[in-house]
Amino acid sequence: MNSISTEAKVGLFILVGLVILGYMSFKVGQTGFGMRKGYPISVSFDNVAGLKKDASVQMAGVEIGRVEEIRLQDGKALVSMKISPGVNLERDVVAAIKTHGILGDKYIEIIPGTKGEAYLKSGEQIARAERQADFDKLLNELTYVMTDIRKVTTSLGNTLGGEEGEANLRKIVTNVRDLSDHLNQAVVRNDEKFAEMISNLRNASVEMEKTFASLSDITGGINRGEGTVGKLVKNPDIADRLNKTLASLQSISDKINEGKGTIGKLVNDEETVKNLNESLGGINRYVTKAEQFRTFVNYHGEYLFDKSNFKSYLDLKIQPKEDRFYLLGVVYDPRGRRTDKEITTGGVTTTQTEYDKGGLLFDAQLGKRWKDLALRGGLLESTGGVGVDYYMFNDKFKFSFEAFDFGSDRNPHLKAWADYQLFKHVYLSAGWDDFISRHGNASLFGGFSIRFEDDDLKYLMTTTPIPK
Amino acid sequence: MKRVSETLDNLGRSVLSGVEQMGGILILLISTLGWMFRPPLKLRAIIKQMEFVGVKSTFVVVLTGTFTGMVLALQSYHGFRLFSAEGLVGSTVALSMTRELGPVLTGLMVTARAGSAMAAELGTMRVTEQIDALYVMAANPIKYLVVPRIVASVFVVPLLTAISDFLGILGGYFVGVVLLDINKGIFVDNIYKYVELEDIYNGLIKAAFFGLLLSLIGCYKGFNTRGGAEGVGMATTEAVVIASVSILVADYFLTAIMF
Repeated sequence: MNSISTEAKVGLFILVGLVILGYMSFKVGQTGFGMRKGYPISVSFDNVAGLKKDASVQMAGVEIGRVEEIRLQDGKALVSMKISPGVNLERDVVAAIKTHGILGDKYIEIIPGTKGEAYLKSGEQIARAERQADFDKLLNELTYVMTDIRKVTTSLGNTLGGEEGEANLRKIVTNVRDLSDHLNQAVVRNDEKFAEMISNLRNASVEMEKTFASLSDITGGINRGEGTVGKLVKNPDIADRLNKTLASLQSISDKINEGKGTIGKLVNDEETVKNLNESLGGINRYVTKAEQFRTFVNYHGEYLFDKSNFKSYLDLKIQPKEDRFYLLGVVYDPRGRRTDKEITTGGVTTTQTEYDKGGLLFDAQLGKRWKDLALRGGLLESTGGVGVDYYMFNDKFKFSFEAFDFGSDRNPHLKAWADYQLFKHVYLSAGWDDFISRHGNASLFGGFSIRFEDDDLKYLMTTTPIPK
Repeated sequence: MKRVSETLDNLGRSVLSGVEQMGGILILLISTLGWMFRPPLKLRAIIKQMEFVGVKSTFVVVLTGTFTGMVLALQSYHGFRLFSAEGLVGSTVALSMTRELGPVLTGLMVTARAGSAMAAELGTMRVTEQIDALYVMAANPIKYLVVPRIVASVFVVPLLTAISDFLGILGGYFVGVVLLDINKGIFVDNIYKYVELEDIYNGLIKAAFFGLLLSLIGCYKGFNTRGGAEGVGMATTEAVVIASVSILVADYFLTAIMF
């Protein structure tokens, strides 16, 4: 080791020391020295609290520069930055102060601008700076908001509290109660009408009872031998004759049984049996038809909002076959039945329109249904008219359109509405009545229907002769 | 009464001697500065002192630096783990080493190794009247003995500090990344992020001051040694104690001024 001189040792020592120093300086100062180059850009912030000189300027998390200087200008903080020479900033970039790391270091984030914009030149200022989320400021704003809310609640308290407010509230409650009373009355009033109809029906049944009673009188008379039929039944002579007749009938039937004579042959013939069978089949079809036969009773009431009227309908829908139906009904319209009278005085004809209030109007229509579409026509509200029904959702929903009361001097009465099945027998409806009226009769309406199938009526009908 | 006057006596004497020493040290510094640039420059003597103060202290400084960095990493890791900031271990070690521990520990180690040797060497020369002989030979002992030592120390201690800093950080890296499994990238990145060039250079300036202090005090104590072998031992001890204390005190003031 003696070969190494003192000078060499010291030289090596100094070399090692300087190399280490140089390496550390280079590593640590790399960014610092690198950033000394670049072009200056400035940006003005409302608040730069926490931002330090030499803080990093980043874009997308990549450092592109450092903060050179922070100074006050017109109450705002003007931050001068040095941006690396290779980085171009568009004219519409946005600068924002962000925080990162556990130590809460502040840095400036540059949000890239639109591609194709012109680039900022050295010394220019970034136009847009995002405001820093300032917690104190936020709290301040919240305080203002709370104050406003309190103002509202206070004024509400003033309005509703106090004697005047209480009086107002009471008035509102009274109004609501009155309203519900009125509604109740309206319902009650129509109830009476309904009751009237039912009593009419009862009267009808009383009449029928009377008819049956007189029938019973007649049979009684017959029983007592009164009148032609009575004598016929009561006379012993006739009875004797009848006996004889029956005896000869007996012999005839015996003969028939034995196949004697024309009838006997007829009865005992195979062909006769076949014919009889066919006849029975015909009767059977007849009965099946009766089974298909359905009747529906429908009450429908609607409130015309613009006229403040309540219109009632009572319909009987007779449906002998699935695709065919007859509609019979009465309509009670508080507006009444309109009649036009032509009066000719001195060669001038004037038309006078009269309304027969409380008068009933009649519906009598026949219709046919194809799948979901039904067409009907006939008498609508005592005038000629046609109607279309369109059914949806398994007949739960029905859209209807009617046109009637065609006249040369006025627009036809058009009516469109929709029914919705709320419960099994209860339907809600809403629509627009007479909507092209020239007399201001147009009105929206809302109403309800009660509709059910009546089996009793059906059997009553099937015992009466059925058309076709 | 006698005891009181004795106490006051002692107090006054120690203050006076303290002030006298400080004055003596300052005078030595001034005369050193005066002789330093006066030719001949005596480069050989300076290089010889550099070898003694720097090269021969390298091993001690490497050991202290490395282990200080390692223990710093270990300790700060336990602290930072409490709030999941293990990544900051690197920057903590690097900052501590460059700003504080590198210069101070190097200064103390060099004081212990070289400062004491200076006091003993010069003290022996004084006691054996070699210094007086130099005067007789019209050779200024300050020029021949003190200036090379001080110049060598001022140059060499910062270099030793740089080595100490580097090896301390390396030791911290070893403990942090290899033993404690801190993410390598985060560890290194945090060093680059938080350590500034200023930190390193201010640490080196401090180290230069410490080098000046320890060599100046060592030379002063050795130069003013009185009374035989016992005096040489006393001078050595005092040189080490005073130099160490003044390094720590000066460290505070230098830090306050520079950072």
